[in-house]
Amino acid sequence: MGFSKLASWLGLKKKEAQIIVVGLDNSGKTTILNRLKPDNEQRHDIVPTIGFTVEQFQTKSLKFTAFDMSGQGRYRNLWEAYYQDCNGIVFVIDSCDRLRLAVAKDELDLLLENEHIRNRRIPILFFANKMDKRDAMSSVKCSAVLGLEEIRDKPWHICASNALTGEGLDEGLSWFADQVKEVINSKRK
Amino acid sequence: MMKRDKKEDDNGGLNPFSYLEKTSVLQEGRRFNETPINPRTCCHILTKILYLLNQGEHIGTTEATETFFAMTKLFQSKDVTLRRLVYLGIKEMANIAEDVIIVTSSLTKDMTGKEDQFRGPAIRALCRITDTTMLQSIERYMKQAIVDKVHAVSSAALTSSLHLARQSPDVVKRWVNEAQEAVNSDNIMVQYHALGLLFHIRKNDKLAVTKLVSKFSRHSLKSPYAYCLLIRIACKLLEEEGAGSDSPMFEFLESCLRHKSEMVIYEAAHAIVNMKHTTAKELAPAVSVLQLFCSSPKPTLRFAAVRTLNKVSMKHPAAVTACNLDLENMITDVNRSIATLAITTLLKTGSESSVDRLMKQISSFMSEISDEFKIVVVQAIRSLCLKFPRKHSVMMNFLSSMLRDEGGFEYKKAIVDTIIGIIEENQEAKEAGLAHLCEFIEDCEHTVLATRILHLLGREGPRTPQPNKYIRFIYNRVILENAAVRAAAVSALAKFGAHCEDLLPSIVVLLQRSELDTDDEVRDRATFYLNILRQKQKALNSAYILNGLQVSIVGLERALHQYTLEPSETPFDLKTVPLAVQPTQEMKTAAVAGEIAAPKATEKIAASRQDIYAEQLSRVPELANVGPLFKSSNLPIELTESETEYNVRCVKHTFPHHIVFQYDCINTLNDQVLENVTVQMESADGFEVVRYIPAPKLPYDQPGTCYTLVSLPDDPTAVTGTFSCTLKFLVKDCDPNTGETDEEGYEDEYVLEDVEIVVADHVQRVMKPNFGASWEEVGAENELEDTYALSSMKTLEEAVKNVIQFMGMQPCERSDKVPEGKSSHTLYLGGVYRGGHDVLVRSKLALTENGVTMQITVRSTDSSAAEVIARAVG
Repeated sequence: MGFSKLASWLGLKKKEAQIIVVGLDNSGKTTILNRLKPDNEQRHDIVPTIGFTVEQFQTKSLKFTAFDMSGQGRYRNLWEAYYQDCNGIVFVIDSCDRLRLAVAKDELDLLLENEHIRNRRIPILFFANKMDKRDAMSSVKCSAVLGLEEIRDKPWHICASNALTGEGLDEGLSWFADQVKEVINSKRK
Repeated sequence: MMKRDKKEDDNGGLNPFSYLEKTSVLQEGRRFNETPINPRTCCHILTKILYLLNQGEHIGTTEATETFFAMTKLFQSKDVTLRRLVYLGIKEMANIAEDVIIVTSSLTKDMTGKEDQFRGPAIRALCRITDTTMLQSIERYMKQAIVDKVHAVSSAALTSSLHLARQSPDVVKRWVNEAQEAVNSDNIMVQYHALGLLFHIRKNDKLAVTKLVSKFSRHSLKSPYAYCLLIRIACKLLEEEGAGSDSPMFEFLESCLRHKSEMVIYEAAHAIVNMKHTTAKELAPAVSVLQLFCSSPKPTLRFAAVRTLNKVSMKHPAAVTACNLDLENMITDVNRSIATLAITTLLKTGSESSVDRLMKQISSFMSEISDEFKIVVVQAIRSLCLKFPRKHSVMMNFLSSMLRDEGGFEYKKAIVDTIIGIIEENQEAKEAGLAHLCEFIEDCEHTVLATRILHLLGREGPRTPQPNKYIRFIYNRVILENAAVRAAAVSALAKFGAHCEDLLPSIVVLLQRSELDTDDEVRDRATFYLNILRQKQKALNSAYILNGLQVSIVGLERALHQYTLEPSETPFDLKTVPLAVQPTQEMKTAAVAGEIAAPKATEKIAASRQDIYAEQLSRVPELANVGPLFKSSNLPIELTESETEYNVRCVKHTFPHHIVFQYDCINTLNDQVLENVTVQMESADGFEVVRYIPAPKLPYDQPGTCYTLVSLPDDPTAVTGTFSCTLKFLVKDCDPNTGETDEEGYEDEYVLEDVEIVVADHVQRVMKPNFGASWEEVGAENELEDTYALSSMKTLEEAVKNVIQFMGMQPCERSDKVPEGKSSHTLYLGGVYRGGHDVLVRSKLALTENGVTMQITVRSTDSSAAEVIARAVG
């Protein structure tokens, strides 16, 4: 115990962060998380999540514990049970699904108005996923439809991604890691 | 460390969880949300929560859901102990918390993961939270898990499938191939569980089960547990088929007696001795195996053997006699449970001469055995008393000394039951038995037993040669006991006053003292009885003190409720309330012969059966104005052969001026739907069909009910008749798969067997606890007397049985039991005739050279009722 405390104080040990991954069903949340894990732990069969699963992965400076929430309609109301003590939110959007972007916006608005989120400075990372598809919308367009400019009290970032190849994930995550670290540090002080 | 030890000493090794408080524990549950997780603390908190849940603490849905969601956060921990506690927590909360489905993916991840420690528990937890709709999504994983090479995982999946089969049998049925593969596993538990699942999937298909047994009985299973299960399945099959020892199944059972595992040998022996139709020859090898076990050095085997022999000795005492020598040796066994069972077995198989010796042996260690086994001893004594009535004095003394010993309620109840049983069977034992019971209630802590004994004293005491000696015991209760016992004592006293005139003045004095009792019930009873006793009228005494209320309690409640809903000018009439149904003699004998626990349930059902019918009939609007239900016939009469196209069963309901025939019909053709189903009835005896109430629709295999309302003839003595019945209906063909019916149908009919109305349908059995008093109460006004020669009867027992059956009345004063070796007997019957008229019959039977001669005297409050009953036999 003593050693690990000392190590973390010296910055030798990685800080831990709890994040929550949300978004509509079939947007690619589980696939993104799967891609972030080391190669030997990745799975090949991704099935729709029921409820949630816990995944762990690391970046250079942080150790993430991610709650991968199910995006299916009947489970969305369960997201809020995990808002309270998360240090960051990853919101995944299917950038080809123009029709349901409105649904995604509704869910996002609900999330932002939640009592555990509203008054906290909590970083949100948006992935406009499935950028490889031909009719995918650009990240700029997605952010316009979702009305992201209106989020003023929280740091946010959107980037296009392809979970199958991993393209765009590192970019988004390095921004996210920096923000999360800042939040955790400010909390400690 | 020292400090902690001392603290534990102070607590005297108390349960550390015994002072837990629900709210504070649930509050602690919030610590699951903390990051990073502290596994030690969380384990401790989870244990507390599990402890509370297992203690039966009620946790509300909101609280439970909150704790459950906090618990789900623990999935991020990799601590094995903590995670396994989480699985337990999920299982316990599965039915209390909401949205438990949220952990589905986490659990599927764990059950397919690398950590074997997680996989089994995850499967069990997953199957608890999964319902039929969700089962599809985990089906693939379950199939994989069943055939998994890790034994613990495979076993967990198999047992969980068994649980799932209860709610979603169709899905589990599809896993039969996997189960089949798992049976071939080389692990004994997996094999056992797989066989269990396989049987469960096929248990409704008799042919498949037969195949299953014959297949596995041939190529040998490795697991002794699986063998035991196979024996049980085979046994069930044998019983259903009623097959004898020539069946291959029985050969299999016998071959198991030579198995190398003791467990299997015992199971096979147990199965053989418990089969319904076994002959002595078939029994012999099984008993000799048990005999071998009797001298085994392992106490478990000795216990199992002697326990089984004890059971067998009830049915086949002769077969067990061979083991008597071994049993004698076991009397001195260091294990008292084994010794007790050995002695009780010997008591059942032994001769009258050995009883005294064995009883002495038992009493030497009675104080060392547990209540449960003392009850076994008591039951053995009971059956002994039935077998050797002459030994009752030894038994009574023994029982009374047992009554004086320490013991729990169940034990005392068994003794009291036995003493009462002996008193009822054996007149000679009555006085001694009553005396012992009197002594017992002097120091009895069980209210139920005290009231029961007081009731018995009230019934039997007044008719003993010296009734006055019981008064002191009863009055002591009035002074010393709680309200319930005081009330019972007051009732008992009143019965003495009503029956014995010379005691009346003293009883009145005693009852007057209770008029100032602090309890309402006691005071009310005392006042009520005093006022009746002061009238000094035999009829009143008989009606209100000696014979209690004879209506069905449920019926009375409903009638009073109805009366308060529709207030009318006329006062409430107790005669409109249906009478309580007396359990018939056959049921009682079954209760004595069978296990002690089982018949209680059936008696309860029988008592409320008529109330259920009354409820059903009151829901039919067409039958609203026929008046209160008087009686429903006992067992439904089958009007069709079994396995015909339609099954029809008839129940007769008697009303003041009508009879309703209830026909329960089942359509066994899956390609037909019947509509507008009625049963047409025709009779030549003056009965008139008033109305048919059809069953609107009768789909395949769903019971439907139609009614026929028949009015009784005006002549009050014309009460019997025969009806020819025809089932009439509209047939519509339908597709058995989709259930779609054709638009058009056609009329059809089906001839049923005849239905009879007999005298017994008009009479309700009523027990008159004090027949003599009731006889005087009714009086000789409508007395009829007749003499018959019953030439077809060869014995008095046969005559008694037939007379009771013809009249449908209740034998009183236990006069249905003919003492052995007598050539004459008097039978007392009590009943109530349709319309609420009391009917009493005194029938003197004498055995002559050409059959039985019967002189019958009928008294009733109604002249036509007396006439009908007097003619019933002729």
